[in-house]
Amino acid sequence: MTVLPFLPEARARGEAVPRLQRSAGLASLGVRREGGQDRLETFFQSGAAKMRLPRVGAGEPLEAVLLNTAGGITGGDHLRYEVRVGAVARAIVTGQAAERIYRRSDGIATVENHLAVAERGELAWLPQETILFDRSALARRLTAEVAPDATLLMAESFVLGRAAMDETVRTAFVSETWRIRRGGRLAFADNLCFDGDPTAILEGGATARGARAFATIVLVAPDAEARLDAAREALSDGLGEGGASAWNGMLVARLIAPAGDVLRLDLVRLIEKLRGAPMPRVWHC
Amino acid sequence: MPREGMTITGMTTMGMTITTTIMGIPGTSMATTIMAMRTIMITVTAMITVTITPITMTEPLPAFDMAAAEKPLAIAALQRLLAWLSPAFPVGAYSYSHGLEWAIEDGTVTTPADLQSWIADVLRHGGGRSDAILFAAAWRAARAGDQRALAEVAELAAALQPSRERHLETTAQGRAFLDTVAATWPDARLAALATAFPAGTPIAYPVAVAMAAASEGVPLRPALAAFAGGFVANLVSAGVRAIPIGQTDGQRIIAALAPMVEELARFAEGATPDDLGGAALRADIASMKHETQYTRLFRS
Repeated sequence: MTVLPFLPEARARGEAVPRLQRSAGLASLGVRREGGQDRLETFFQSGAAKMRLPRVGAGEPLEAVLLNTAGGITGGDHLRYEVRVGAVARAIVTGQAAERIYRRSDGIATVENHLAVAERGELAWLPQETILFDRSALARRLTAEVAPDATLLMAESFVLGRAAMDETVRTAFVSETWRIRRGGRLAFADNLCFDGDPTAILEGGATARGARAFATIVLVAPDAEARLDAAREALSDGLGEGGASAWNGMLVARLIAPAGDVLRLDLVRLIEKLRGAPMPRVWHC
Repeated sequence: MPREGMTITGMTTMGMTITTTIMGIPGTSMATTIMAMRTIMITVTAMITVTITPITMTEPLPAFDMAAAEKPLAIAALQRLLAWLSPAFPVGAYSYSHGLEWAIEDGTVTTPADLQSWIADVLRHGGGRSDAILFAAAWRAARAGDQRALAEVAELAAALQPSRERHLETTAQGRAFLDTVAATWPDARLAALATAFPAGTPIAYPVAVAMAAASEGVPLRPALAAFAGGFVANLVSAGVRAIPIGQTDGQRIIAALAPMVEELARFAEGATPDDLGGAALRADIASMKHETQYTRLFRS
């Protein structure tokens, strides 16, 4: 159950490629507010990690679409994405497609996501689902620094195999770690982890009662608690199972579903309700 | 081994502190120093309990001694664990179900077998496991007198809650435990550590108990087993009342899960916060849904 230490940042930048590393990448984005528009302030990408910036309508938040040009990740890969949203600026970050974690020959795929949102800034971190293949291993760490009056909405979802392809995941390792700091203090931490046969682990009544897809959503915002009723209403219409709670200026929801398509419907309903806006276009492609 | 000039501090049940400084006398061993301390303490009052493992605030964390862990638990340590983790210790444990009350309502848990597997999942993949790891980290930080490490574990433990009611469950019990133990088992070392957690600062239950255990020389593994065992007993008690099931069925579950509690204590003793993590997703969802449950006996 011990998680390998995360690679130092220098390695992420490709300065020293560790043995068996298949691919590495770093993509970094900074957004600032200027003249009533959300504009690109900094942009850097290297290796397999890319960001695409689709054109958005006037007055719309800046949108960035994450791309992994390696087409998926496996043991030994390392990716890092960084997003910084300046004061009053707004951005939405999503993924071009589901992230596929392929069977590994050795090592653990490591992904680091770092988000920062300054005063009254707003960031929605909405990657598409992560699909776990048989014998995959992923350690992903998300850290966020949020100003006390800023807004961060984030969601990550996992699907075990592709149901349509009738894939069975007999063994997988996942360590998904979230650390959200608000005004410098740790506001929310979450560690999702399983190592072994996910079907067996997730069959228990207290784990997932056989669900093969699950997601966690966190909203950190000055008005997060006021949106709890709306979140519960969206969840009550869900086809899967979900719950939401709010405390200390945060809203947290967990969803589980028998398959990825059901989870996606429930997740989209909840996120659209919380944001009061449709999902980024790539979600519907 | 004691070094010249090293200070050894022993605590008594009366809250008195006895300090002896090792002089540079050739041939003075740790054992003779402890014997000398015992003699001093015994002459003070017959009520005194000797702290078997003298500790100092400045000593580095000692390497873990596997053989020592198998030794019989000192009566003083056993008494503390029995008192602190007894259902009678006023932290309000009986009023928290950790989401179980919702699982009973929605039909996931209706029989003794369901209750046992629900609690086993929570021990293996949920709050029971996380609490044990956090307990061990807090115990080590408290024993080393490392306020910074302790504050870091405490912050993590309070943030690592999936819902409002789980946050309440751990922080309300943590605060009640610290207040009660300060009033009933006063200890200078614990009081010093607790100054970093004034009223209003969230303190998670495993962190609070670990601070007291480390301060009073209660060894880690038995403390972990007692804490995890208390968690199991509390959930069984909630199930006995809410399902309801018979008292004997409840005790059978406690007995059946005893090896798992022992294994968790063994694992957590060597674990660090890097090992945190679980998959008790429905236990978390249950605690969220419990917030809007129509009829409730429990606060979580």
